[in-house]
Amino acid sequence: MTSAGTSARLDYPVAEHVLDNGLRVIASPDHATGSVAVNLWYDVGSRHEEEGRTGFAHLFEHLMFQGSANVKSSEHFALLQPAGATVNATTWFDRTNYFEALPAGGLDLALWLEADRMGSLLTALTAENFENQREVVKEEKRQRYDNVPYGDVMELILAQVFPEGHPYRHTVIGSMDDLNAAGVEDAREFFRRFYMPNNAVLSIVGDVDPETAFAKAAQYFDIVPAADRPEKLITDPLPPLTGLPRVETTQDVPSEAVYLTWRLPADRAPGFDALDLGFGVLGQGQSSRLIKSLVRGREIAESAYASAMGLVGGNSLGMVGARARAGTTPEELEDALLSEIDRLAAEPPTEAEVERAKAQTERHWMQELARIDSRADQLSGFATLYDDPQLINTRFAEVEAISPGEVSEAIAEWFTPERRASLIYRKEGR
Amino acid sequence: MSQPNAFVPGPRPQIAEPGPWSFPTPRRTTLDNGLEVVSYDLPGQHVISAGLVLDVPLAAEPRELEGVAAITCRTLDEGTTKHSTDEFAELLETAGAGFGLDVSSAGLQLILDVPSRRLDAALDLFAEAVTIPALAGPDIDRQVQLRLAEIGQARANPSQAAAIAFRRTVFAAGTRYARMNDGEPDTVAAVDAEAAQRFHHDHFGPRGSKLILAGELPDTVESLVEQHFGAWSGDHQRTVDHRPPEPGARRSVIVHRPGAVQADLQFGGFGIDRTDPRWADISVASYIMGGAFLSRLNGVLREELGYTYGVRMGFNPLRAGGTFSVSGSFRTEVIGDALTRARELLSIKDQPFTPAEVKDAVTYFAGVSPLRYATADGVADQAAIQALALLPDDYLDQRLAKLRDVTPESAAAAYESLVDPDQLTLAIAGDADKITEPLQQAGFTDIEIIDLEG
Repeated sequence: MTSAGTSARLDYPVAEHVLDNGLRVIASPDHATGSVAVNLWYDVGSRHEEEGRTGFAHLFEHLMFQGSANVKSSEHFALLQPAGATVNATTWFDRTNYFEALPAGGLDLALWLEADRMGSLLTALTAENFENQREVVKEEKRQRYDNVPYGDVMELILAQVFPEGHPYRHTVIGSMDDLNAAGVEDAREFFRRFYMPNNAVLSIVGDVDPETAFAKAAQYFDIVPAADRPEKLITDPLPPLTGLPRVETTQDVPSEAVYLTWRLPADRAPGFDALDLGFGVLGQGQSSRLIKSLVRGREIAESAYASAMGLVGGNSLGMVGARARAGTTPEELEDALLSEIDRLAAEPPTEAEVERAKAQTERHWMQELARIDSRADQLSGFATLYDDPQLINTRFAEVEAISPGEVSEAIAEWFTPERRASLIYRKEGR
Repeated sequence: MSQPNAFVPGPRPQIAEPGPWSFPTPRRTTLDNGLEVVSYDLPGQHVISAGLVLDVPLAAEPRELEGVAAITCRTLDEGTTKHSTDEFAELLETAGAGFGLDVSSAGLQLILDVPSRRLDAALDLFAEAVTIPALAGPDIDRQVQLRLAEIGQARANPSQAAAIAFRRTVFAAGTRYARMNDGEPDTVAAVDAEAAQRFHHDHFGPRGSKLILAGELPDTVESLVEQHFGAWSGDHQRTVDHRPPEPGARRSVIVHRPGAVQADLQFGGFGIDRTDPRWADISVASYIMGGAFLSRLNGVLREELGYTYGVRMGFNPLRAGGTFSVSGSFRTEVIGDALTRARELLSIKDQPFTPAEVKDAVTYFAGVSPLRYATADGVADQAAIQALALLPDDYLDQRLAKLRDVTPESAAAAYESLVDPDQLTLAIAGDADKITEPLQQAGFTDIEIIDLEG
């Protein structure tokens, strides 16, 4: 145990090996549970999509479960779940990840399955599978976005914050029109372009020694040929927003709501961590300024939050949101939010406030790393995005080193009322 | 460039049997005031998860003040007799701690997560919140208003609306179980500071309570608990009898959502709890039917037909009795056919469970356990479930042993004793103008449109 007052020292083992075909393999042994987590990041996300083809990275993720040369449609799940595995995949702006965690005796099977779809997906891809999964994805979009209150918030925000043609202007789920227009040939082209060992990172965490993990990775993945890796997508940073973009929408929502958004520096770029802490001081936790003043003090909001969403493509996204209590107009709520943002300059975040934000970050980070599956995901992520899987041990120290002065400086540069966009939800029939 | 022909993998690897596993065994001590301390020392788990389980069933709430348990719990961290609301929030968050709660029909749980080196400070604040909360008028009134707003949000969300409608129907009308755990609007609105303080005074105390701690614990953990909770007095504490749920009359209801592009459904009935001899059998049966990704329901309705992003069937046990339901969101145009097919799939008369299906279910449950219970919060959550349902410390080990004895025949017998596809309760949130007719054609001739506000 460490002594009181000092932060936890993390020392998870991290070993690396690159196969001849360019697949980067990371191993981190942890023998505590007899389980193993396999996690693959492909360096492709919704930001790599082309105009008219939004939602494609995610639709493609579904197709990866529809079989490959030696695996029948959906057999990936059918083989892994009875082995005691949790299995899934997700798509985000900056990546697509595939993962399974299971008793260590299933490691070979998991690697064999991942290698088979990396090496031979196109052999099995059919128009029928494609049509089926297109419908499933459309249902996912309806369930998660189109049929719930405020479901279009991300779509509206991204179009305010990022200009035409910007990689982050559209949502990961994409548009119904684009999903309808996609064809199986697009899927084939997408696979050829992005799915190859030299555009992926494989992490193996759990009850296996690094040498064994590397040997097994080579055994199953060496036969997957390298291909022409897509060029790294570099997006130039944009300056803060100007001109106070404003969108109002009237919908059948239970409460009126305000969402204010900002362009921020890219994840881990200078200023980002400081801003992340600044957003925490403003609107995360019961002691944060927004909860204290809007939810508790003035009682004008039923909820309020602030958060910085780290993205690697030039800029991150800052969000401040609140839902109005009955009797409060969106204008009043927006004014109240803005005066709290002004106050970040007039009464800068104190040492104590910043310490609290760090303490919360630290707990969330430690909980994230406590699980072998999320630890594997972090390793793949840091290797893919920053070429440095060791960040799982050092990332929190970067945040911890930020001073209140740096928080204030970053706020002054990026996070001020005149650099915002505003989105207002009004209730129908008012 | 990629050459597809170069890819010639070896044969599919076999799975090696997982090693033996058992749920950790806790250390138990009881303080002089009756508080039982249940400690799980988990080296390497640096965030400690604590759960204080109070033997306070929702039957403890006066009928006209239902929701008072939830409002009381939600206000515990809003200041104490020692610290103001803001001070308390600052102290707790400076300790890197997170406070949470869970209100269930069988009891209340207050949850603390904190890095191990800050356990002492956080436990001090946790004890303060539980034993000497301020429960001040303005804070209670605000929590009441926030709960009312939360109900508005829940009713506007289709899957939550379907769940609210389902519980109203699957449990006997007029009973506590038919109403939301955290209270319905009329009774929540009646809760005031006096009611919350009285509820706290009468029902919060160390007798019958269990403090579960999981994570990398200091050797001194019991004395730490004694130091912070030892003075908690149970003099005023009342004991309340638990009341089991009763089933409601079968109904089919629609919560009308004009313009909804999907219909969200809950389709099920009254079930059993974990102590029922059929529990292992029904766990296997419902996994085959709607738990696995390639379950009978999801395999057809998602993977073959593309009607839904996902459909599942689950049994939700209570301390006594329980419910089960098939749930999912289906696009409006196919809801009639989706339900017709679901009902056909739910019948096992001509499609008995196979030995392979049963084996896959059993190995799944056995295989996921070590990882699910590898973390402090995983262990603490399960220990709290066991405390609330009066299950033994080795409940999971016993369960895995019983699962291995399940046969296709025993799973089928349990399933058929509980699930009659023609007698299930249906609750749907969707556009009634579009789905009423298809539902009637699918055999739900008794379908009624209900208003959750009614």
